[in-house]
Amino acid sequence: MGVAAAALDYDAELMLRVRDGDGASFGLLLEKHRASVIHFVYRLVQEQPVAEELAQEVFLRVYRSRSSYEPTAKFTTWLFRIATHLALNWLRDEKHERGQERLDDGSPDLPARQVPDRRPSVEQDLVYRVKVDQIRQAIASLPEKQRAAVLMHKYEEMDYSQIAKVLGCSESAIKSLLFRAYTTLRARLAHMGNI
Amino acid sequence: MLVAYAAGELDLETAGALEGHLAGCPACRSLAAEQAAVWQALDAWEAPAISPDFNRRLYRRIQNEVRLSWWERLTRAFRPMPLRQALPLTATAGLLLMAGLILHRPNPVAPARPRAETVRAEQVETTLDDLELLRQFAPAGSAEGGRPDAM
Repeated sequence: MGVAAAALDYDAELMLRVRDGDGASFGLLLEKHRASVIHFVYRLVQEQPVAEELAQEVFLRVYRSRSSYEPTAKFTTWLFRIATHLALNWLRDEKHERGQERLDDGSPDLPARQVPDRRPSVEQDLVYRVKVDQIRQAIASLPEKQRAAVLMHKYEEMDYSQIAKVLGCSESAIKSLLFRAYTTLRARLAHMGNI
Repeated sequence: MLVAYAAGELDLETAGALEGHLAGCPACRSLAAEQAAVWQALDAWEAPAISPDFNRRLYRRIQNEVRLSWWERLTRAFRPMPLRQALPLTATAGLLLMAGLILHRPNPVAPARPRAETVRAEQVETTLDDLELLRQFAPAGSAEGGRPDAM
C-alpha cells in the first residue's frame, strides 16, 4: 500500500497526527479499536485479564512506534499484527508453562448472556454456558494460525487479503487455512444448530 | 466457497449459481447446512465487558513510560550494562589488554626519563672529557681557538 492508498485510511491519518504529537488522535484510535483488539485477543487467549493486559501492550507499542510510523500498510493490519504476535507468544509461553489444562478449566470469563426481554432461567443459562464452553474448546483446539484466522474472519469481519497480511501468508494459504479450520469446527460444532 | 457462502461474502450471481448446485447435490447441501450451523453457533460466543478503567490504566502506563524515557535518557550513560551485552565486551577488552601487554612489553632497562637524564649526563661528561683531551692534545696556542695571548 503506497502513501496515496494510505491516504484513504483515516486511521493511518490519525496515526500520522499522533506522530506529530497530537495525543487526541491517539485517543480517537484507542476508542475506535479498543473493543475489537481486546475481544480478538480475549478469544485467542480466553482469559479476560490477560486479554486486557496484552491489549494494553498492543496500544503501548503503537504509541511507542509513533515517531517511526510510516503508513506502509492499513493501520488495522498493523494493529492486528501486533495483537496476534503478542497473543500467540503469550499462548506459547503459557502452553510451555502449564500445558493445555487451562483450556479444559471452567469458564470464569463467560459474560452473562444478554437476553433482551427477560432474565434467562438457570437452566437456559446453564445450557448457554455449556454450549459456549464447547465453542471455546473447539476454537482452542485449532492450531494457532487457524485460530487467529477464524477469529479475524468471523468476529472482525476481515477479508482474506487482510487476514493474509496480518498473518504474513498468501491469500490462497489463508483460504486453505480457513477451510481446514472450519472443517474441524464443523466436526465439533455442527450438531449445535441454533443456539 | 461454502465458507464464503455461509459468511454471506458471495455476490448475488455466485451465490445464485451455488444455490443452483446445492439444489441438486445432497452432499454439498449437507455441508452447506453444517457450515451455516457452525457460523451461527459462533455468534453465541460473546466477549466479556471491558474494564471501565482500561483507558486510565493505559494512559498511566504511557505517562510512566514518557517520564521513564526522559529519565532513561539522562541516566543511560551511568546505567550498568546488561550481563548479556557486558560479557562479550569485557572479554574483548580483556583480550585486547592482554595482546597489548604481550606486544608492547615495557623496556626492562631503565625508565625513559632517568635514561634520558643519564644519557645527557654521560654526553656532558664525555664532551668535557673530550674537551680536556683536546686541551691536552691540542698544540699549544691553538687549543682554545688559537689565542695569541696564551702563547
